[in-house]
Amino acid sequence: MKTGNATMDHLISLVIFIAALLIFIGLFSQSISTAIVYQSHEALSTKTSDLLDNILLNPGINATWGTDGSTPSGFGLQDPEFTQYQISSFSLMRLDSSTGSVTEYDKTSPSIYYNQAASSLGSFLLTPIVQDLNYSTALSLLGISNTYGFQLTFTPDITVSINQTQASSPLNLEISTSGKGFPFANAAINYCLILVTLPQSDMQYPSYTIQNGAVTTDQQGIVNVAFPNVTDSNQVYAFIAYAHLAGVEGVGYYTHCTSTDQYVVPIVQDIGSQQTALAHSYDLNNSNPAPSSLKYNVTFVISKTDYTLSQLSLDSSSSTNIVGIVTSGVGNPYPVITLPSYTTGILIITYQQEDSMQGGVIMMPWGVRSLAFPVTFGGNPAGQNWVTTDIRQVTIDGIAYQAKLELWNQGSQVIG
Amino acid sequence: MAKLIRTIEVLFVIIIFSGALIGVSYFTVLPSPRQVSPINLNRLSLTTLEMLDSDYDLSRAAFETDNLTLWGGLQVALSASLPPNILYNLTVYDVNDNGGLLYSNVTSISNTDSLGAGSDASMYTVASSNVTFNVVPQKIGDNGNGGTLYILNCSDSNGWWITGYTAQSLAQDLYNMLSPYFVNTIMVQNTSQLAQILSGNSLQGENLQNAVVINTFGEAVPIPTAYCTAPYSNNGYSYYSYFLGQKVNAYNWTWCSIVGYPFYYVSNTVAFSSLQNNWGIYGMQMTGQSGSRAFFEGLDGQTYVNDATSVISDVGVVTFTTQANNFCNYYGIYPSSYQTSSRALTNSILQSYHLNIAFNIFNPVGTYNPGTIYNHVATGATNVTGSLLALGLTRTPDVRVTALSLLSYYQPRLYPSEYTAAGTSREVVLQLGLAGGT
Repeated sequence: MKTGNATMDHLISLVIFIAALLIFIGLFSQSISTAIVYQSHEALSTKTSDLLDNILLNPGINATWGTDGSTPSGFGLQDPEFTQYQISSFSLMRLDSSTGSVTEYDKTSPSIYYNQAASSLGSFLLTPIVQDLNYSTALSLLGISNTYGFQLTFTPDITVSINQTQASSPLNLEISTSGKGFPFANAAINYCLILVTLPQSDMQYPSYTIQNGAVTTDQQGIVNVAFPNVTDSNQVYAFIAYAHLAGVEGVGYYTHCTSTDQYVVPIVQDIGSQQTALAHSYDLNNSNPAPSSLKYNVTFVISKTDYTLSQLSLDSSSSTNIVGIVTSGVGNPYPVITLPSYTTGILIITYQQEDSMQGGVIMMPWGVRSLAFPVTFGGNPAGQNWVTTDIRQVTIDGIAYQAKLELWNQGSQVIG
Repeated sequence: MAKLIRTIEVLFVIIIFSGALIGVSYFTVLPSPRQVSPINLNRLSLTTLEMLDSDYDLSRAAFETDNLTLWGGLQVALSASLPPNILYNLTVYDVNDNGGLLYSNVTSISNTDSLGAGSDASMYTVASSNVTFNVVPQKIGDNGNGGTLYILNCSDSNGWWITGYTAQSLAQDLYNMLSPYFVNTIMVQNTSQLAQILSGNSLQGENLQNAVVINTFGEAVPIPTAYCTAPYSNNGYSYYSYFLGQKVNAYNWTWCSIVGYPFYYVSNTVAFSSLQNNWGIYGMQMTGQSGSRAFFEGLDGQTYVNDATSVISDVGVVTFTTQANNFCNYYGIYPSSYQTSSRALTNSILQSYHLNIAFNIFNPVGTYNPGTIYNHVATGATNVTGSLLALGLTRTPDVRVTALSLLSYYQPRLYPSEYTAAGTSREVVLQLGLAGGT
């Protein structure tokens, strides 16, 4: 019996021991997997910081890929003419926006699809998809294809919002400025009011005059400006405001048009040659022929150091403006203009419906900086297991932006 | 109990395992996401400081700490540009040079009492607008030995193989680049002035001995009218080159040939007004290959012999030596490190004319030197008696190579202003933390 008791003791203890061992292996493996996950996430965080600096501190190969229309063999967004965290306004323009929509304009066949990076009525920036740098190419150029996914976002530090509080006699505009976490109080505001004249004669084209001024925001970052000379509530105008304080600068704009159904849309046809097509809005996305043609007057302006706008000549001519008529429908040619240089500026198009006093003004930033367009590029972080984020303060031709990179593991986990 | 001893032992093991598990679990708790994937506050801080100083507003504020308007604006800009969950403390430090603390706190602004344990900071140096930071070069010859730079700028001579430039424009470029490094820099404005220094008379009381003479006329050498006669005109004026070699030896000059075949032509637009150099350029005579040999003969104190044997070879593309590349960085002169040499001098001249290689600008190709400074050291002597910089490059010359060669040879030091001198610079430290941080 003694032998039997000892055997039972051994059997029971062995079963308990094996069971306990298995349970503890499982419990310890949880701690080990926790540590592995920690290491993985920390490595991802380090990678995020390195990758963001890598993108922001080199102009890419070749360095002028943002302006010459070529496909880079190395991805970078630094302005090739500057150092440190100064980003090229034109390289950003060539990124295939992940938040924009695709616009079809079949008159420019065979390249008929354009990326609408950002737009609202009054401002457009459409670039040819075939010349845009897409996400998968960027992943390959960065050497992280099938390893990591990312989304890169450039957001202006300063938001400048403009609202019309009274349409005429006087025209009242409220300028509201705010930063990421604080009102832009006591900031200097330099503004340009572009007042459009719509002629009654069919032989004449719309034109504009510019009225400049400077004000200062209050403690809430708000200021109101009044223009007593605007007495017509149907006055077509555009308003651009530059807010700046202690090296931090932001831009905002507002347009008021009376023809919001038909308008002229500038489409960058070729980045390298700086050719821009002027499309009738009814020709986009296979819309129906428009009831009327549009007279237009195109100018290109740059912002000077005193924040006033200065016109540059277009199409290598001495003329600072180009006028014409754009008609929708098959068989009607579209006008093409060539922008003067790779200087950041704004293409201003005033337009008017033929036989009508309806018109408007459209602005296209040449370089995203001109109207402080935000840029979002890359994949979608939603639904990813773990996303790390890092941010930098950058300037794009003097405008303060926040660059944010969100990074996640793609496919298998990458450690170290 | 003795019958269950094994079971009891296992229970003890389980207790030990449980203790170990509790201990491990206590120390292996996954940190908060903020600690696992932190925002790089160090880089954010640096980029924020750079942005605030993009229009030098930060620099101005750092030196105008009593200007409340300026500091108010700076604080608003700082608060507006940072995300709302970021806490900051911006502090300006002065740099002391009177002993004690090196840095003293001048002023600071902050949006919090405590940044927590997880903060990080960057330091940014700003300079006063009242101070200009200079780099002062050491003067060649400031020890009283030499220090004169003659740049041949003769208005009565024509150049050859300086296609696209005039000798005068090259002379001006060289003057701008090199005059800070010499005690005296003198433009030799005509061949009469050249004759004056050749005869040992200074132009402006400068030290003639140990001077540097840059011939900006390429393969042509200006010749004074007084020397446009025998014996200097012997053998296509190669005797004039011999005479120059003698003078370079006598005054211990460093003669600089900026391009092509040295001493291949002589030029005087007055004396040779109706004569051309066989290529249609009037005011010039071709000496040919004997010019270089004649110069070396004169330099070495040999008897003049007309020897037209070639001393050069076309060696194609050549590259800077490592030392030359280093001096590019030191002096901030960056000509292309790839050049084409069609007139590289042979090594055989070293033995024939008692020359030593003092500095190679370009890597030798076989037995040929595309760009070299030669020192003449006579037999039995130890001191240098005359030097030649021969840049055997093809046209058109880049005079930056000439400047780099001379600076690499003489190696004058550069003395930058001290950036941390008191009152000239201040340190701005921006420390960032996350709201709610531990």
